[in-house]
Amino acid sequence: MDFQSCVNIKKEWDIVGARQLGRDISRKIGFGTVDQARIATAISELARNIYLYAGTGKVCFEAVEDMNKKGISIVAMDEGPGIQDISQVMEDGFTTSGGLGAGLPGVKRLMDDFDIVSETGKGTEIRVVKWLR
Amino acid sequence: MSTLKLDLENYKELLQEYIKTRDEQALYQAEQFSKHSMQQNISPEEIINVHIQSLQEIYPDMPEYIQSSMNFLLETMISYGLAYQEFQTLREKQLELKSEISVAANMQKTLLSTVKPHIDDIDVGALSVPAKQMNGDYHHFVHDEKGGLGIAVADVIGKGVPAALCMSMIKYSMDSFAELRTDPSVILGSLNRVVERNVDASMFITMFYGLYNSIEHTFTYASAGHEPGYYYHKDRDEFEEIDVPGLVLGVSPEITYTQYEKKVEKGDMIILLTDGVTECRQGERFIEQEEVLHVIKQYSHLPAQGIVDQVYKHFERLQDFQLRDDFTLIILRRNV
Amino acid sequence: MNLTIDVTNIDGVTNVVLAGEVDAFTAPKLKETILPLTREEEVVQVDFSDVNYMDSTGLGVFISALKSTKEHNSSMRLVHMQDRVYRLFKITGLTEIMNIDSTVQGGM
Repeated sequence: MDFQSCVNIKKEWDIVGARQLGRDISRKIGFGTVDQARIATAISELARNIYLYAGTGKVCFEAVEDMNKKGISIVAMDEGPGIQDISQVMEDGFTTSGGLGAGLPGVKRLMDDFDIVSETGKGTEIRVVKWLR
Repeated sequence: MSTLKLDLENYKELLQEYIKTRDEQALYQAEQFSKHSMQQNISPEEIINVHIQSLQEIYPDMPEYIQSSMNFLLETMISYGLAYQEFQTLREKQLELKSEISVAANMQKTLLSTVKPHIDDIDVGALSVPAKQMNGDYHHFVHDEKGGLGIAVADVIGKGVPAALCMSMIKYSMDSFAELRTDPSVILGSLNRVVERNVDASMFITMFYGLYNSIEHTFTYASAGHEPGYYYHKDRDEFEEIDVPGLVLGVSPEITYTQYEKKVEKGDMIILLTDGVTECRQGERFIEQEEVLHVIKQYSHLPAQGIVDQVYKHFERLQDFQLRDDFTLIILRRNV
Repeated sequence: MNLTIDVTNIDGVTNVVLAGEVDAFTAPKLKETILPLTREEEVVQVDFSDVNYMDSTGLGVFISALKSTKEHNSSMRLVHMQDRVYRLFKITGLTEIMNIDSTVQGGM
């Protein structure tokens, strides 16, 4: 399996589309129900961040393989305002969306690998991976 | 009673037992199971997942809609699980902060520690209790062989860590006045310049400085906007407010302070305090100054330290043992 | 208790009417309102009629406002203070350096 598929995020409805595609891919890779739900929730958070703060962007999925493990890689990209203080948004208890979302710390908890690159005025790219155990 | 079965593998057995017997004991085990799971950081969606698997095993012919509904429930639990994990992390962080502050509070205690002087002719009582961990009140005694006793009482605006940091600055500046017998007005004047230069515009400190001469039995003092203390006249059995003008420290650089002198007679008392004493609140009611004096009078047969302790106990109780502001009270009494 | 802050402008005088308690919780909000006014306006009047409690944090706000008026050549006037609040300004020596309406209102 070596393919990449993306979902453009422009309206709130696209979040659902991203979840659906992410869930389908993770099921094919072999993730169980709980992990599928976790991956879907992480996708929601990433896509909602794009929708709320950048307006538009995309979420891409890829089945990945490393040595003897398989997993799913999700990349969320936008060309929005960027994140000024990454340490701050990665802190527990700091959520700009009124505390309702799990925020980026939540995404980090749901997934195994987490990486974020952001430049003010240029945009943000977040890459997360969940490995099949 | 069977032994507690706490792992996920045993969930099925527990569930099966309950479905068969509807027994309270199985429910009690479920409770134990849930507590144990929390200790192991098992999130709610995992428990639901085990529930689904157990159901599938117990009822291989489980209708599809039950299965779907359980998946639906699992999905809704994900965010709760996240919130629970976040809560755990925040709780750990809070403990960390708490212990850090308590280290700082101990440091402050050492830094600001002062020894209550023992002088034959005068009886001294002193107590300072912070409302939070760190104290924004400060009192200090300096005592020499020639019978001179310098007493400083100060209160920084606000409480907690910022107030405590500011107080440490006052302490260092005070230490730099090598001459004990420096006039109170001079001490306040120099402190005012230090504070004015070094603190934020909205920060200020009130301070009372007094010098007791235990040979002549005179008390020389000046105040920088500090809560007025009281003077107790033994002969008349009356309190008099020590109300002296003076601007708080840190507001205006070109301020001079006036000092005053009082002859202290046998049995007379000097009472110095911070507004934590007079601003005590009982619910919505403010405690009037008279009440403080009343309590002091009530215990005036005790040594000075005894009076101070009793006043504190009195107001601590009035405030339901929750101090709202730092509390400092000092009583000096001429014995001989 | 809460603090309500009402800013009106009557005949060129900016009037800040306070009602409630000025303490550590409400002082930041008050500071945010008053400090810009001392920079922008010539005369700022603060009406204390309905302030029944103020603590030292509140005093701090007015001290920084006073410092700001000196920097910006504006002025500040505090009016209609209740006894308990006035006492705080008196003890701290601030009545000597601030323009405070001497017709103190009684009441608690």
